[in-house]
Amino acid sequence: MDEEPERAKRWEGGYERTWEVLKEDEFGSLKATVEEILFQSKRKRALESHGQVRLGMMRHLYVVIDSSRTMEDMDLRPNRLKATLKLMEAFVEEYFDQNPISQVGLITTKNKRAEKLTELAGNPKKHLAALKKARDAACVGEPSLYNSLNLAMQTLKHMPGHTSREIVVIFSSLTTCDPANIYELIKTLKSLKIRVSVIGLSAEVRVCTVLTRETGGTYHVCLDESHFKELLMFHVKPPPANAQSECSLIRMGRCAHVCFSQTLKHSQTHLDSTSEVGLSLGGYFCPQCHAKHTELPVECKICGLTLVSAPHLARSFHHLFPLEAFRETPLEELPADRFCHACQGKLKDKIVFTCPFCSGVFCTECDLFIHDSLHCCPSCINSQHSN
Amino acid sequence: MSGDRYELNLLVIVMDVNPIWWGQQAQREPEFTLSKCLDAVMVMGNSHMAMTTTNRLAVISSHFQDSHFLYPCKNWTGGDGAWDGTMDEAPYCGDGKYELLSVANNVVAEEMKRVMSTTEMKGNSTDTLLAGSLAKALCCILLQKIVTFFSAGQEMKSRILVIKTAEDCARQYMNFMNVIFAAQKQNILIDACVLDSDSGLLQQACDITGGLYLKIPQKIALAQYLLWVFLPDLEQRPQLVLPPPVHVDYRAACFCHRNLIEIGYVCSVCLSIFCNFSPICTTCETAFKIQLPQMMKSKKKKLKQSI
Repeated sequence: MDEEPERAKRWEGGYERTWEVLKEDEFGSLKATVEEILFQSKRKRALESHGQVRLGMMRHLYVVIDSSRTMEDMDLRPNRLKATLKLMEAFVEEYFDQNPISQVGLITTKNKRAEKLTELAGNPKKHLAALKKARDAACVGEPSLYNSLNLAMQTLKHMPGHTSREIVVIFSSLTTCDPANIYELIKTLKSLKIRVSVIGLSAEVRVCTVLTRETGGTYHVCLDESHFKELLMFHVKPPPANAQSECSLIRMGRCAHVCFSQTLKHSQTHLDSTSEVGLSLGGYFCPQCHAKHTELPVECKICGLTLVSAPHLARSFHHLFPLEAFRETPLEELPADRFCHACQGKLKDKIVFTCPFCSGVFCTECDLFIHDSLHCCPSCINSQHSN
Repeated sequence: MSGDRYELNLLVIVMDVNPIWWGQQAQREPEFTLSKCLDAVMVMGNSHMAMTTTNRLAVISSHFQDSHFLYPCKNWTGGDGAWDGTMDEAPYCGDGKYELLSVANNVVAEEMKRVMSTTEMKGNSTDTLLAGSLAKALCCILLQKIVTFFSAGQEMKSRILVIKTAEDCARQYMNFMNVIFAAQKQNILIDACVLDSDSGLLQQACDITGGLYLKIPQKIALAQYLLWVFLPDLEQRPQLVLPPPVHVDYRAACFCHRNLIEIGYVCSVCLSIFCNFSPICTTCETAFKIQLPQMMKSKKKKLKQSI
């Protein structure tokens, strides 16, 4: 386990003179420097792109949330557990927005045991309801890393080979109580190609370092709440696929929604839940066996066909065809009085962005919007169309 | 809508000005030409602006290869001054009409004339560029949201109304879907008023963002339909009985034959859709693992001995 050289720790390096970054202008104000720093941090996220790497689109992700005694610590407001649960709700929504055909499951660990909060499912409603209910839970005892990883592994090892199997652990305690040797479990996880990442809330723990290094995940310790959010949102993007993962053709059925159906049918998905009323008017019918389901994407319980709708697949297309980053040009190089091609606003910033393909000029806000949400250049659509 | 602060509502109208379709239309039905359509649209725009002082309007024309902002126009005021209320250079109308409305009408008419006469025809495609206009509309809405948030501290709600005439262009499917998802994230409604043939893309857009889709049976009555169906904003729509939602055909087309299929095979790497199993994906050229049926061990049968 110790063959790879350890990373140099931060205190072993030289001193970092952080006070030299801030420079005052002639009036003594720091406004320009602060704006510059904010601007750089906004751009940093937009510039990371995987290029031509194959991404794992269909993901099965388990999130393990530590619910032990240390989560009652109040260094994150109001306490660590509530802050984590709130960020998890945002994470679940964002996750299903970026990966519509993937699934997520939740596990909590406390009192030396691990418990599944929700099963792996493709629809966010159940997860959000479970997260809201978990806010009132008490934090007792010690977490068990072995038990939670084992529980996740039991389900993940049956998943088909073309999907990516991931576990994200939010670990705040410095200790763990395991019934068996965790290094054996790490070997098993590695052989099953399960990628484990850890987000630490207290300090770096050696066993987590080894775990993430062996399975190919990432390990970060959060500094404050915004850093925690950033680390969590990092896992929303699809990771590069393993070289050994199999590619296969998946049989899927495409469903159209039928509104106001004439007969009330008992929906298949309601057979399991006891809290909802069993009858509903509209729904989705499986094209193979015509069983009725209330939500998509789902696997039909009768015939086993995966059911999706076309927008679900279309949402993932922007990962496959990512937009190139725009070139930065200073405003002085352009002829005076130019307007942003997208929003028609006057260009006031010092730096403007030019698309390398169509030479369209955009302001900072439009550039951020184009790269974050739109994923296509408005002027390029015009030039593509005329060809 | 009483209260100290009115809500800001921005309506962006995207008009399809495909010259080929409008030229054919002028020969088919001379009573309904582009100028009549523009009149109807401006009636709707004026009504929207007249409802409250804080309502705003923008008009974009969607042509073959480009889309232009008809109102507010930067050539006229040299910036985004139309919404700041700088009316000093406005052409004086003289008939007592509310200045904002007369200015809007004149500017739209002038710009439309300019756009139609100066745009050159390149290539031989006959479809209009809706995805590009919608993308520009979204960026414009975003800019206005930021400007009003910082200057007046108010939130701004917005929606887009698309008036479509020509056929759909299949090539802009992906860009179109990207634009729709971006609009859904920003909570911007997309309504569609279709004059000629049904458009599957716009049906999906309206379904995903929560807007209204309507195919108009009689084109001459365009103003009526616009005012009755599309003028009320989001809060008032539940109180009205509006046209029922259409059945959206979400079936996708397979990549090999372009047939619409219900059950198909999806490549796990590039998400392309096929109707039949094939060992190699044609888009990303990955070889698939074929699951072979398991070999059953044959049981030895005991021969019955004839006695």
